[in-house]
Amino acid sequence: MNALAFAWRSLVRQPARAVLGVLGVAAVGALLLDMLLLSEGLVSSMRDLLDHSGFDLRITATDSRPGAGPRIEAAARAAAEIAALPSVRSAVALRFVDARVERADGTIIEAALQGVSEGPARPLTVLRGREIQQPGDVLVNETLARDAGLAPGSPLVLRAACTSDAEILPRITVTVSGTAEFPFETPGESIVAGSLGTLDEACGQSGAGEADLVLVASQGDAAAAAAAIQAARPDLHTVTNDELIGQFQASGFTYFRQIGAVLTTVTVTFALLLITVLLTVSVNQRLGQIAALRALGLSRRRVVSDVFFESVLIVGIGGALSLPLGILLARWLDGILKRMPGIPVDMHFFVFDPAALAMHALLLAVTALAAALYPMQLVARLPIVTTLRNEVVS
Amino acid sequence: MSAHAGDIIVQAAGVSRVFRMPAGPVTAVDDVTLQIAAREHMAIRGPSGCGKSTLLHILGCVDTPTSGTLRFGGRDVSRLPDAERSLLRLRSVGFVFQRFFLLPMLTAAENVELPQAEAGVARRERQRRSRELLEFVGLGRRADHRPSQLSGGEMQRVAIARALANRPGLLLADEPTGELDGATGEQIAQLLDRVNADGTALVIVTHDEALAGRARRILSMRDGRIDRETRR
Repeated sequence: MNALAFAWRSLVRQPARAVLGVLGVAAVGALLLDMLLLSEGLVSSMRDLLDHSGFDLRITATDSRPGAGPRIEAAARAAAEIAALPSVRSAVALRFVDARVERADGTIIEAALQGVSEGPARPLTVLRGREIQQPGDVLVNETLARDAGLAPGSPLVLRAACTSDAEILPRITVTVSGTAEFPFETPGESIVAGSLGTLDEACGQSGAGEADLVLVASQGDAAAAAAAIQAARPDLHTVTNDELIGQFQASGFTYFRQIGAVLTTVTVTFALLLITVLLTVSVNQRLGQIAALRALGLSRRRVVSDVFFESVLIVGIGGALSLPLGILLARWLDGILKRMPGIPVDMHFFVFDPAALAMHALLLAVTALAAALYPMQLVARLPIVTTLRNEVVS
Repeated sequence: MSAHAGDIIVQAAGVSRVFRMPAGPVTAVDDVTLQIAAREHMAIRGPSGCGKSTLLHILGCVDTPTSGTLRFGGRDVSRLPDAERSLLRLRSVGFVFQRFFLLPMLTAAENVELPQAEAGVARRERQRRSRELLEFVGLGRRADHRPSQLSGGEMQRVAIARALANRPGLLLADEPTGELDGATGEQIAQLLDRVNADGTALVIVTHDEALAGRARRILSMRDGRIDRETRR
């Protein structure tokens, strides 16, 4: 019987201890997995969102966030100029303002109004109806379509607030050409998207031709495209998706990583203590048997490996159970965290990542080894004669 | 180990064992010289604390003498490293303990197989040998029973079978009937006689006069020394 089979029998012999250990590791392992997913999840999710929008560069007038700083003037022309660069596939200018959509019964729905310049690709996906084709066409998201009872072809009455919330501009009537999905849409948010011209009309020509942001899709090399854009338009601020993620990592998202690191350390320490205690108690209960086996000629290495494999089995089985448990827990926690305001529908706090899984396995493996060190040392240094004598005397 | 009557298995020359205790050194075995021949049937007796078990552990290479020389099969093993002493015990020495020390999670047969597995005996061969030994100790039909399903006497029989698993030339038994009632103790004594009759040298440490009286050679110890030797 090899050491692994022997360790298995030892565990089965003491089912309560084994189950306690395995469940403890499963619970701790699930938390560990979630902490690892959380530490990179938001960044990873943000990267996915940025990448899936189809654009890998963002251009603003300054390094301020879009909407927080000055806008890009003559944005449609700037977008066209950038789109003409060899390293750029497409470019589209965007302007964001607030709007109030008036329903047929006179009630108001607060909405975000996006103006989008012409271009082969836009940061939205049409779900029903058709793209914006002519002045006065708008796309709405499904939330607004549902809440305002809109369908392709429906008229839509809105008032924009382009400079301040208190601003009252004349209402305009546009036509819903279809419904669309927007990459950074948040739950319950209402969105209307039309051409830049439609937005300028809604704003009473205030800031006409300006945009908060130009989205650029490169030909595949975002850095080269960024360099070309900077050379062509040194007055504009260009940032790639990777740079944007880097900024997120260096600022707000570090809190999640720090929390993840602290909780990971706590959970690993807890697992370590749990397994060490269980194995130490188990070894202390069997000192006489172990001393007898040593007297019969079983090597020190053999009895030490029995203890090690017990730890491996507890951590291995508990670790395997921790995966489905951790994923279920992550989904539940993700649902809770996503209820925070302003979180896009497609953004997640816990994102499955093979690297996190590998780290989870590595940390558990290290835990199994470290937890077994003390009980292994007990067994390795067991004085055979004294132990046999003590067992008889006791 | 195969041996003929008269071959010397163990030679102890001036062996002493001193334990360093907080209150001062305690000499458990003091300048003992003896030889154990193949097929020998020896008993060591004496009052508690006289050094019987310590001497047994030294003879079985579980413990090392503080001074003196111990030869096993002609080889000086007094200062062997732990791994080599383990191997020597595995191949050449069997131990029977007062408290049996069977592994509760293994069946009787698996307990007997364990030292063979450590010695690298093939699975089929060790299974055959285990059945054979359990038949020998009268437990052929209890091979698949766990220790918790056996009586004290049956457990000691399994422990004897386990001690014989690797065909040792020397079997050491420390109070083998100490936990058993008189009738069961007698059965174990008879079994040990059979083991010896089959060619295994037997050294028993015991308080039991009747058990000691079955040996052909009896050493009486006092204060770590052999103060009398009787041969029959």
